[in-house]
Amino acid sequence: MIDPQLLLSGVIFGLSMGSIFFLMAIGLSLCFGLMRIISLDQLLYYAIGAYLTYTVSLLVGNVWIGVLAGVLVSGLTAYLIERFVFLRIYARDITFSMITSFGILIGGIGVIKAIWGLVPRPVPVPIEAQLDIFGTEIPIYRLVVIVIALMVYGGIWLFLNKTIIGKAIRAGIEDVEHVEGLGINVYRLFTVTFVIAGAMSGLAGGLNAPLIMVDPNMGLEILAFVFMVVIIGGLGSIKGTFISAFLVGQVVSIGSLIYAPLAQMAPFAIMLLILLVKPTGLYGSTMMKR
Amino acid sequence: MNVLRWWSGLLVAFALLILLRIFLPLPFNNEIIIFSVYVIGCNFLLGRVGFISFGQPAYLAVGAYGTAFYLYYFGTNPYVGILIGILSGIVVSLIVGPLFVRLRSDYFALVNMALAVIIFFLMQKVLADITFGDNGLWFLTNVDSTPILDLTRPDQFYIFAFLAAFAVWAFYKYLDDSIFGACCLATKMNDDKVRFLGYNNFHIRLAAFVIANTTTALAGSLYAVYLGFVSPEMTSPARTADPVVVTILGGVGTLFGPIVGSVAYTGMKDLISKYFGNWELVIGILLVFIMLAGEKGIWGSLEPLIKRWVFRQREAEKPAAADAGVKSR
Amino acid sequence: MSSQVLNVEGLNASYGESRVLFDISINVLDKQVVGCVGRNGAGKSTLLKSIAGFLRPRSGTISSDGVDLVGRTAFGIAGMGIKYIPQDKKVFSDLTVRENLELGSYASGDYNWEPVLEFFPKLKVLIDRKAGYLSGGERQMLMIGRAILGKPKLLLIDEPTEGLAPSIVSHLKDVFRELSKSAALVIVEQNLPMICAISDKIYALNEGRLMAEITERDKITPEFCEPYL
Repeated sequence: MIDPQLLLSGVIFGLSMGSIFFLMAIGLSLCFGLMRIISLDQLLYYAIGAYLTYTVSLLVGNVWIGVLAGVLVSGLTAYLIERFVFLRIYARDITFSMITSFGILIGGIGVIKAIWGLVPRPVPVPIEAQLDIFGTEIPIYRLVVIVIALMVYGGIWLFLNKTIIGKAIRAGIEDVEHVEGLGINVYRLFTVTFVIAGAMSGLAGGLNAPLIMVDPNMGLEILAFVFMVVIIGGLGSIKGTFISAFLVGQVVSIGSLIYAPLAQMAPFAIMLLILLVKPTGLYGSTMMKR
Repeated sequence: MNVLRWWSGLLVAFALLILLRIFLPLPFNNEIIIFSVYVIGCNFLLGRVGFISFGQPAYLAVGAYGTAFYLYYFGTNPYVGILIGILSGIVVSLIVGPLFVRLRSDYFALVNMALAVIIFFLMQKVLADITFGDNGLWFLTNVDSTPILDLTRPDQFYIFAFLAAFAVWAFYKYLDDSIFGACCLATKMNDDKVRFLGYNNFHIRLAAFVIANTTTALAGSLYAVYLGFVSPEMTSPARTADPVVVTILGGVGTLFGPIVGSVAYTGMKDLISKYFGNWELVIGILLVFIMLAGEKGIWGSLEPLIKRWVFRQREAEKPAAADAGVKSR
Repeated sequence: MSSQVLNVEGLNASYGESRVLFDISINVLDKQVVGCVGRNGAGKSTLLKSIAGFLRPRSGTISSDGVDLVGRTAFGIAGMGIKYIPQDKKVFSDLTVRENLELGSYASGDYNWEPVLEFFPKLKVLIDRKAGYLSGGERQMLMIGRAILGKPKLLLIDEPTEGLAPSIVSHLKDVFRELSKSAALVIVEQNLPMICAISDKIYALNEGRLMAEITERDKITPEFCEPYL
């Protein structure tokens, strides 16, 4: 049996990891839901967010300002990429966006290597303090990460349910052609969604930077987990992504407590099981529109 | 008539490869040959079945490790090793295939890519006791010299790989022309109509999936025997897109695409890593550029030009046929 | 020419390689109700989609009050007051009736729901219900209600009464009559009694070609139109 103190810190660890997964996967999922694209370049914005956090926190001395800079720059990069690349390929097949975005991801990694080099960079943890819960030392920073992810989920929920643009995005996830038929400029919705997705990925990178080493391939390292989250939750479902992100986070964390290799294998096995029962994930729509 | 022209085309391509052998260094040629076998399965899946397979390295690793385990732990005959690599490819495809081919193409792509990364973890960490993790398995000295084609000698390996690749290409050419190829194309175009015609979508896709991945496993085996060494690096996340990149580079769904793509990719890789260093940047920009320019790739763009040129040569003899041919493009 | 709220000339359209419309020419005057009849697959829906900007025609011109529509985006055309109401009765099922109407208002800048709720008092009762739980008739009401916000000058309506109960059909008939006081309507319909009762002009399509243009008032009868269906 696992030591309860170890279990508690494992659960917190899993929740913070799930938070990062959620912030990453929500962008992929929203982009798929509305634009029917698979935007692998989200993994690039994740790395950009982390690298800006590194550089700016080194210059300013405050990690939080670094994270903010990371969010802004990844949002801006996402905006430019959307304008110059995705705008031309929305009408195309989904494989098209997948290959193109992979090209952007690889090319972006090349740019990162050119700017920051190959050496992994450390980012200091902004909150060193530990919280004592039942005799278990819990790093407060991890709790902050979890709270931020929950706030983002709440913020996205409010945005989608209370603002007219959000409502239009929800309508577009159901049927984008009808939204266009009403006379709404769907391309503006696409841009908004894409920039939000990019900024969320940047936030994930910035928040994760103090917990890992920042290196050019960090996006590729988290790729498998993000995919598993998106697939288990169901492409295009925000609620599904939320649930599955924390599920995968827990499976990785608790799994590795039981037997280290389970960290990677267990979520994959769960994903295969879920796909066996429901080929479109937990909350994915069964219909492929367009 | 048409068939004859295709076969003569293949022969010309291989004549070119023999010329390459004379003018280019041997390792480069071996690389190209193995790479094109690796890519042809991916090309088939994308061009004929509409499945984009970012997970092809998974099957490459399966074939390579199948061969490597045999040669490291059990036997010494490289041919048996290659056979075992192919068999492990078939077995793994048959295990995951029934689940994967049921998925919609977008889910398929993501799940398959995840599989490649999982196999990477499996070989790097989980099975580290028998795969020696990142250090890899070295078995070059274990491999026997066989009497007829000695695979331990690069020049003789080249001939073997060449023959194997030729067989694979001929097989895919046959598939393309067969009713099976037509069925695959039909499942890509319209799911339902194939069902109405009395063919089973699931079976067609599964067969295509197994065939493509077995080819890739063969490429893995060839790598293992050629290098005498395997490591998890071949299926690392950064490499997952290699076959897709080459497929796009060469031209999707064309028979010569994999060859042209492999030559271009391997050549570029050598040149860039020698003179520029930043490999990812170039390949990423190139990929985006090709997609935006119309996704035809090198061979896809050249093919109509070459055809037109060939037709112009024949115009004197057969103007009518040439006319029809150009129009149908 | 400028009183022609819709003028289509020599329109050819196709899905990929298969041609669907051949040399179609129609015109619609202001506040006119135009029926469009034909068998399934005659190209009626394709015609509406081409006008609404969802399908780029191969050749031909489409203009409204002298303004060329070809090449404009679908939302741009909708913004000009040409609203397309598709056939499948697809409301945004995850959104409430209120949110559906809000989207119509957001798109058109018209936040006055009075006329809509006057036409369809039932929507007032259902206002906070998710549109996914509405019946077919209620969905059709919502779709029309959503589209008439912003006072469009031309409505393109695809098979509005398909599969609806007779009482709702007659209600819609009254609504269309009322709407035609302020807008032109092009209605694709298989229900001949209903379409003949309200139309000023009927176009009959078959296999992508225009078979007949019936303008004489006394010929717009189900009996006369029957052979075209």
